[in-house]
Amino acid sequence: MAEKKRKEEIVIRVDDLKKSFGNHQVLKGVDFHVRKGDVTCIIGASGSGKTTLLRCLNLLETPTSGQIYFHEQPITKYKMNIEQFRSRMGMVFQSFNLFNNMSVLDNCMLGPIHVLKKNKEEAREEAEKYLEKVGMHPQINAMPHQLSGGQKQRVAIARALCMHPEVILFDEPTSALDPQMVGEVLAVMKEMAQEGITMVIVTHEMAFARDVSTKTIFMKDGSVVEQGSPERIFYNPTSPYTAEFLARFMAG
Amino acid sequence: MFVLSASLSVPTDGNFADWVIFLTQEYGGIFLEGCMWTLLIALVGTVAGCVIGFICGSIQTIEIQDTDPLYKKLFIGILKLIFNIYVEVFRGTPMMVQAMVMYYGLPMIGISLAALPCGFLVVSINTGAYMAESVRGGIDSVDIGQFEAGKAIGMKHFEILRFIVMPQAIRNIMPQIGNQLVINIKDTSVLNVISVSELFFAGKTAASVYYKYFESFFIVAVIYLCLTLVISRIIRFIEKKMDGAADYSLESTGSTELKGEV
Ligand SMILES: Nc1ncnc2c1ncn2[C@@H]1O[C@H](COP(=O)(O)OP(=O)(O)O)[C@@H](O)[C@H]1O
Ligand SMILES: [Mg+2]
Repeated sequence: MAEKKRKEEIVIRVDDLKKSFGNHQVLKGVDFHVRKGDVTCIIGASGSGKTTLLRCLNLLETPTSGQIYFHEQPITKYKMNIEQFRSRMGMVFQSFNLFNNMSVLDNCMLGPIHVLKKNKEEAREEAEKYLEKVGMHPQINAMPHQLSGGQKQRVAIARALCMHPEVILFDEPTSALDPQMVGEVLAVMKEMAQEGITMVIVTHEMAFARDVSTKTIFMKDGSVVEQGSPERIFYNPTSPYTAEFLARFMAG
Repeated sequence: MFVLSASLSVPTDGNFADWVIFLTQEYGGIFLEGCMWTLLIALVGTVAGCVIGFICGSIQTIEIQDTDPLYKKLFIGILKLIFNIYVEVFRGTPMMVQAMVMYYGLPMIGISLAALPCGFLVVSINTGAYMAESVRGGIDSVDIGQFEAGKAIGMKHFEILRFIVMPQAIRNIMPQIGNQLVINIKDTSVLNVISVSELFFAGKTAASVYYKYFESFFIVAVIYLCLTLVISRIIRFIEKKMDGAADYSLESTGSTELKGEV
């Protein structure tokens, strides 16, 4: 398994990424890479810069220094066509961010029609396929405010899938959910992982990270403390910080 | 014009009610025409003002990035400055004065406008200045996450505004648009200073023949009140419509299983 993964091409490579807000340095030189099919889980305490890192990856934030490569091309190269670049990298937000003024179906058709320039029929067919996949097909006519949190997040995942992105970024996709809804969202993500969809997931669901990720990254205070296979990070951490963090989380 | 007075005689020692009935019949046509212009100017002015407001409001949302080329920074900076000045000037002066300045000032720079077109122009531009602020507020009240979700699927700034943010902003500022329409119905009365034959002007005309100012303007007041009451009811109805149904129907063909393939 590990051997096979090693041959996959690198989709994202982050090289000494730094990001400051004013004189507050939030990312202090982050390095990692994501191969095709990888499920990368980023864990770490609140405030350690996980969200900022994810937002830098699709240029919702502009890095202060360092470089991010997409298919080995620096993404500053995509600056001129940032929209096209973003369409190849999906994002699922903690607060869902479904378009409040449209139905579930329209949420999933908007990008394919306006960004991928698909015709309506094709976009609808695909949207229905992915909504069915996340178990939200019965609600295609619903408006976002009529859905539960877990349902919203599953629609948000379908919306991302409809764009056929090469990577999907998840920022704490279950943190805003009531406990009983966490499972339904994680089940969808787990299935996506098994289908080989490349994902980068910021999460506090340690069991999920341990069981589903192919690589786990532990962050603290804007730096990557260690990264590796989930087995190693969870059962054999080299840093005392990692051990301490995990002890706190796994116990709670 | 529309005088119906053939069988009417002037109330000789008539009381208030007699005069109101007489004036209504004698000048019904003039009141009706004034009413029509008032409504038309207010409606067109509000719609045009909204368009101006949406353009100004949208331009205010463009963020200038450090990486943008200099000409773009300059262009957008100057555009924002011009719109800011426009908003300040037209919100900071009375519409009556704006009407006078435009009506008598525009010919000096070679633009000669008749009273009526000038009236439409003044109300539109004035409303635009107020709507620019409302639209900006309406856009600000839309969650930033809506913008970001649009960006994340690769939509361009103006596509996000058009398909995602504006529809929500419009719903948010519908009460203000309705309010502005009601204000405009009342405030077109100031256009009488440039002799636009709107409702107030009609009242003056009707009053001046028999010197019956109270009776005449009583009629005018009732008409204004009817207009504004009806309009605000219509606006509220539209707001309700925009909010849509409270529930949705389940699509029966799909299955709820987490199955399928990517
Ligand atoms: N837009 C911003 N402006 C200023 N500071 C910010 C901004 N976004 C995040 N930060 C700061 O960066 C730090 C890391 O935040 P974040 O990336 O959200 O961490 P995490 O997702 O790991 O909780 C925090 O101290 C936060 O206050
Ligand atoms: Mg976060």
